[in-house]
This record gives sequence, structure tokens and C-alpha cells, in this order.
Amino acid sequence: MEGTQLGQIPAKATTGAGQGAVDEVDLTPVRTYWQLARQRFMQHSLAVVGLIVMAILVTLALVVPTITGSLYAKTSLSLANHPPSLLNPFAPLGYDSIGMNVFIRLVKALQTSLFVGFSAVSIIVVVGITVGAIAGYVGGAVDNLLMRLVDVVLSLPSFFLIVMMVALFGTGNAIVVIVAIGIVGWTTAARLVRAEFLSLRETDFVQAARALGAGDRRIIVRHMLPAAMAPVVVAATLGIADSVVVEATLSFLSFGISPPEASLGNMLTNAQEFFYRQPILILYPGLTLILVVLAASFMGDGLRDALDPRQRVRK
Amino acid sequence: MATYVLRRLIQAVPILLGIAVISFMIIYLAPGEPIDRFRSGRVSPQTIENLRRLYGLDQPLPQQLLSWMVAFFQVWRVDAWGYSFTDGQPVITKIAARVPYTLELMGTSLFLTVIIAIPVGVLGAVRQYSWADKIIMVLATIGYAMPTFWLGLVLKFVFAIKLDLFPLFGRHTYGDDSIGDLVWHLVLPVMTLTIVSVAGWSRYMRSSMLEVLHQDYVRTARAKGLPGSRVLFKHALRNALIPIVTLLGLTIPSLLVGAAVTEAVFAWPGLGGMGVTAVIERDYPAVLAFVMVGGAMVILGNLLADVLYAFVDPRIKY
Repeated sequence: MEGTQLGQIPAKATTGAGQGAVDEVDLTPVRTYWQLARQRFMQHSLAVVGLIVMAILVTLALVVPTITGSLYAKTSLSLANHPPSLLNPFAPLGYDSIGMNVFIRLVKALQTSLFVGFSAVSIIVVVGITVGAIAGYVGGAVDNLLMRLVDVVLSLPSFFLIVMMVALFGTGNAIVVIVAIGIVGWTTAARLVRAEFLSLRETDFVQAARALGAGDRRIIVRHMLPAAMAPVVVAATLGIADSVVVEATLSFLSFGISPPEASLGNMLTNAQEFFYRQPILILYPGLTLILVVLAASFMGDGLRDALDPRQRVRK
Repeated sequence: MATYVLRRLIQAVPILLGIAVISFMIIYLAPGEPIDRFRSGRVSPQTIENLRRLYGLDQPLPQQLLSWMVAFFQVWRVDAWGYSFTDGQPVITKIAARVPYTLELMGTSLFLTVIIAIPVGVLGAVRQYSWADKIIMVLATIGYAMPTFWLGLVLKFVFAIKLDLFPLFGRHTYGDDSIGDLVWHLVLPVMTLTIVSVAGWSRYMRSSMLEVLHQDYVRTARAKGLPGSRVLFKHALRNALIPIVTLLGLTIPSLLVGAAVTEAVFAWPGLGGMGVTAVIERDYPAVLAFVMVGGAMVILGNLLADVLYAFVDPRIKY
């Protein structure tokens, strides 16, 4: 994905306002759109922090449960209510009221949350892009029909609909949760892609591709989609935060992932039951959720600034 | 304006029909049958067959959908939305009985949100990059990232268990119907909802105000020597409030159905909690009615947002 349509913006276009170096000629090679975007992203300090935090969380979620295996569901009553202690590297957060290792469980729950978040967003992106691309490219009656469908889905009480689908089709099943979030959530991506396609359809490079005899599929996939991705990437990143919170809420209301599987939501349900014994247990899953949401939304904000080609890089 | 509203209402009909079809299909596709709840060793197959005929479950799907929809829109009849599977009450009555409870919770929270978030947002914008602004932004960002139900749990722990100031859950003490008791029970759920929405609204207000403050007419007003407060409140604030009015319209649906989670945490007897219970108990008439009411609220909220928008901004004509 070299982004040749949007790229090739000469980097010396800026005169370095406020930087002093007005007459200096910039001899750096021409950079592509994605190189510029990466540069802009890296200048957005909160976004970089978000990216680093997210990278750490993802690494933890991938590595720790692989090592600890099924320990996250192991109960040992002799260890129940063991307080948190940094001196114990195996259980820094102690044990809960039925003797489960809180740290191991928390990381497993993080894995579940991130898995649900990323998978749900993948569904949202795939469905959204497909519907949006067809509507924007074909236009006419097809566009009209698909957009009315979007209107209907947007008017549904979304959280309640997710609760309803999960409750009816399989409480406790992560796949059902993912699909339910996906079914309700694709509309924004579809609208964004459609809007981009409507304007891209008339651009010179698309017309040129068509004149050269490219087929519909090639025009859509090779030429238009790369140019329409920017708003979708931003929406998808922000969507991770939403999906993670929805999953946690569902599991908290005991519709989503149920014990012994770990989820940030069902850890909170459990913590609530033992409110008086170990109140600190409501802290960890909540803070983890906040961390995931903040990391994703900082990344999303950074990407929004980075992918907007109207912003030039100041060097 | 009247024709615009009318046109929008007419456009809403196919959307509402679409919602009806989708929610009906989901329930139809769900494994099991609505009358499974009546099956047991003591119920004869003949009775089950009679029940299926009674509820029209022996009819083909389009027929079922049609007869349900025809009945559903006759809202003036008490049985239009059917009878609840759990207690045999008409669903309309059940829903209507819950509306006031949700309204007292959400109304209070919305009112507080508006009177807190607007001054806070304005302060942040006027003193941009000051310490006050930075603190506001950090708090708002954290508040925005906090899941509502988790905040509810934390507040319950601090104020109900540790400090023992407010009740853990419920709407009133048994046998005590006084206003004071109701307010006492309202504090924590309202606090939960308000903190989360103030976080969002004040960020919104701040950016809206910042945008207006950089407009030429504000500079002109300053340049011609008007006092700062006059520029702020007379020129800037009024325009900065326009997007907030839209937000108000979009919040309407959540006024009625959106507080399910908070209601669950505090066992508040509102609509959201009723919807969740209806799903758990597979009370299909109530579930369908709940989705339809929710959808109607979204449509009305959008319409209200657009109408209010035209009302506060004379430049917009429909």
C-alpha cells in the first residue's frame, strides 16, 4: 500500500513559518503519503504514548497467558483472600475470594478483552468497507437501499440490541459477543467509505484507470480503497475502545463471557460479590479497562491528525 | 417548519418498519420457541398445541410478523403490545409504569450535566492551556474513558460502604415514600451518570467555545471595546451553545433506555433494567416493545435535534 495517488507531496512545500529557516532549500527525498503520516503520528506525543501502552498491553496479553496456561481458572481455597504483595512475583496482586491468582486472571481477562475488541472491529471494518464501497461505487437504487438499511440499524437501540442477541443466541460465548457488536457497529464505517467513494469516483486517477480498461474489482480494490482508508483507520482504532467497554459491560451483566473464563467484566461482577472482604479487587479490572480505552483513543486522535493530508509536516 | 417535521415523521415510518422486521427476525431465528417456558412434565402436548395456536405460532412467519405489526401500532389499545409472559400484565402498562422512574433518574442527571458541563467547558476554553484548563482536560479524559458501571461500583464502595452516607441500591426505603428518601437514593446513581456525561459534554463545550472564540466577529467585538464578559456571554457563548443543543436531542433516547447499566448497578426500577430482565426471562412481547420504543426514541431524538438546531440558529432554514 504505497498510496501513490495521494503521495508524492514534496516535503519542502512549507516555508518553515516561525522556524526561522525561510530560504533554506529542503533536499530530502520526496516522501510518500504513508511516510508523512508516520512522521506526523510520531510528533503527536500522546498518540505515541497510546501506541506504546497498547503495544505493552498486547504483548502482555499474548505472552503471559501462554506461559501460565490454565492457571487463570485454578482455585486454591488455602490461598483465598491472600493480600496483594509486590514481594511475591508470582502473585503480585494477591488471590481473590475463591483463591484465584488475580494477576494471572487479570492478564487472561485482558487477552479476552483485546481479542473481542480487535475481532469485533475487524468485522465492523470488513462489513463497513464492503457495504460502503458497493453503495458508493454502484450508486443509484443499490446505494439508496443500503443507506436506508444503515438508517434502520443506526436507529436501533444499539446496546440493548447487543444484549438481546447475546442473550438469545448464546450467553457466555465470545464469538456471539463479537458478532453482535459487529452487526450493530458497521454503519459508521460504511458511511465513511461511501462518502469517500462518492468523491473518488469522479477523480482523474479513477477515470484514468477505467480508461485503461481496469475492471470494477481492480478499480475498487487497487485504486479507490487505499485512498479511502484514512477515516476508516481512525474510526476502527476508536472502535476498539468502544468494543472493549461493551464486552466488559455485557460480561458484568453476566451476558458475555462467564466464569471460569476470565473477562474484565466478570472479574468485576465477582469483585462486587465480595465487596466487603476485598474491595481492592474492583480496582484492577477497572484501571485496566481505562488504560485500554485511553490508549486506543489517544492512538485514534493521533491517527486522525496524521492521516489528514491537509496537514503538512513542519520540520 | 411544520411541513419539514411532517416530512421527517413520514420518513420515520419505513425506518420503524425496518426496526420491527429486524427485531422480529432476531427473535424468530433465536433457538427455542417462545412457549418453551410453558413446557414441563405436567403440561400435555395438547395444551402446548393450543398455546401455539393461541399465540399464532402455527402461522407462517410473514403472517406472524404482519399481525404483530398491525396490532403494535394501535397504541391506544391496552393490549396492543401484548401481554407479558412473566406476569400477564399488558406490556404497555408495564412500560408506562417504569417511565417516571427512569425520567427522574435521567432528568436529574441531564439537568446537572448541563449546568456543570457548560461553565466548565467555557472556563477551559477561555483559559486555554492554563492550569485550570489542563486539570479539566485530564479529568474529562479520564472520566470519558471510565466505564459507567465501574464508576458506579467505585462510588458505591466509597459512599455507601466506607462512608455509609447513601444507600447501596434501590429507589426508596420500604414503607418510606417521602421526597427526602427518594433524593437520598438518587444521589449515587445520578452522580455516576453525571460524572460520565459531564466528562463528554465539557470536552465538547470546550472545543465548541474555542472554535467560536477564534472567529472574526469575536475579535471585532473585542476591538470595538466591548467589555470582555459581554463579548463572552453575548457574542461567543450563544453561538457556542448551538452544537450543544444538537447533543441534547441526541441524548433523548438514552434518557429512556440508555441507563440500563446504571440501573442494573443500583437496582433502580427503571425502563433499562426492565428491558434487561425481559431479555433474561425471554419475555418476547416486552422485548419487542422495548426495541420499538428505543427505536422510536432515537428517531424522535434526531428529529428534535434538527428542529432545535433550526430554532437556536436562525441561519438554518428547512
